[in-house]
Amino acid sequence: MKMIEPNFRPTRRAVLTAALGIGVLAALPGVARAGTGGANGSLAFDGDALLSAGGTLSTSTDGGATWSERALPGRVLALATHRDRPGRVVAGLAEGGVGFSEDGGATWRVGTAGLPDGAVNAVAIGSRDPDLIYAAIPGDGLYKSEDAGESWTLAMDRPWLDEAERDPLALVSVDLDTGMGGIWIYAGTETGLTRVPDCFCRWQDVQPGNAMDALVAGDAPPPENPLPAGEPVLSLASSPSSPERLYAALPSGLWASRDGGVVWTQIVEESASAVAVHPEDETYVAAIVGDALKLSRDSGMTWTAAAAK
Amino acid sequence: MRRVAYVSAGVLAVAATGIAVLAQSGSGSESGSDITFLGEPVTAADIAAGKDLYAQSCAACHGAGLEGQPDWKRRLPNGRMPAPPHDETGHTWHHSDRNLFEITKNGVEAVVAGYESDMPAFGAVLTDAEITAVLAYIKSTWPERQRAAQAEVTAQDEGGS
Ligand code: HEC
Repeated sequence: MKMIEPNFRPTRRAVLTAALGIGVLAALPGVARAGTGGANGSLAFDGDALLSAGGTLSTSTDGGATWSERALPGRVLALATHRDRPGRVVAGLAEGGVGFSEDGGATWRVGTAGLPDGAVNAVAIGSRDPDLIYAAIPGDGLYKSEDAGESWTLAMDRPWLDEAERDPLALVSVDLDTGMGGIWIYAGTETGLTRVPDCFCRWQDVQPGNAMDALVAGDAPPPENPLPAGEPVLSLASSPSSPERLYAALPSGLWASRDGGVVWTQIVEESASAVAVHPEDETYVAAIVGDALKLSRDSGMTWTAAAAK
Repeated sequence: MRRVAYVSAGVLAVAATGIAVLAQSGSGSESGSDITFLGEPVTAADIAAGKDLYAQSCAACHGAGLEGQPDWKRRLPNGRMPAPPHDETGHTWHHSDRNLFEITKNGVEAVVAGYESDMPAFGAVLTDAEITAVLAYIKSTWPERQRAAQAEVTAQDEGGS
């Protein structure tokens, strides 16, 4: 219950959230976690090379036509790469720790200093700083490293959604200004999308930039079409070439946003578990849909299956 | 009902200091400081008054030395966040003057719609001048790097509105 206090004004969202809360709890599915469903569950682009990792790492430099296999330092639950640091691959490891490669996945080191034990099921690299790494540990919180994994500190507890703490299943650094001297980190959780400024002041809903102004002015709120309430968000991608363009993989399908996650449209209606977007071309998308790896060159309007690995 | 209880306790404490503050600022001390708030210069007397107000109204949660609640990065059992430090180890210096003022006067939900927090809204217990004094005091404790960063955020914020 919201408490009464002198300045409390009910907001549309607070009321909406309260109303949805009950339905969401009832509908909470057995959560499937990105990357844990067998081999090759996480995707990333390292420049033009497409990486697909799970038990092993598969890489393709010809748009998914042919693949080569590489060893990993352990089973991988999440991958991240950076436009300005070709060859750097960051991998969240099921056995704990974060794997780092500087050569596209050929050789690895594992950073654990300051990280507690436990699986690392989501990782991200700061969009404006390739040495700034984020890692999520289920049941614990969000950790950050400012020195490419040499040392880690707790950045923030887990997000709170629908009356409980939720594990981030996916993380992505989105190069959109927070107005606090930094940019946003978006997290897909077991019950939906949330985000935190990279100064880590608080987890919050994705809202239109001018929502507060509209509220104060009494104007009609800007349009919103959030991801389906209560559904897990298994994977997230934002292209540095067009950071307001986001892609999200959910059990209900693949979703896309052109405005930083306020309005979403469904682009694939089959269950999706992983998504990645090319660093220089926000229309070039790779996704695991059903059990197949598929590629789209037109923002998800048409898809082709990648060759079997 | 915890928040309401805090606020009404605050009303009493602040009503008492309010008088002290007025007495102090009436003492004619106009010596300057290098702090501005919302573009206006703040006097050393304002900062001294802000320090007293901080001790009365904010220290119980944010710490006498601005150090925040213990383990402030970890959520409380009620799902809310503890009070963060106001010194350079926290994130207060990432917010513009306008945001800090809004949060203090109207609560965190004034800047993040629908957000629930244990930070009371002080609009009913502190005057705008008192809120400015308290925040100017907090700013005066920051090292140069945090002050410069916060000045930049404030400049951007004013440019954007
Ligand atoms: C009842 C305890 C309590 C008191 C008293 C209190 N605060 Fe807070 N304050 C909090 C909590 C808790 C938060 C964190 C809110 C959140 O993020 O959920 C907070 C957050 C803030 C923030 C936002 C910081 C950031 O970086 O996001 C500001 C600014 C702030 N308080 C200023 C003040 C000032 C100024 C006073 C005294 C006039 C004060 N507070 C008194 C509990 C308190």
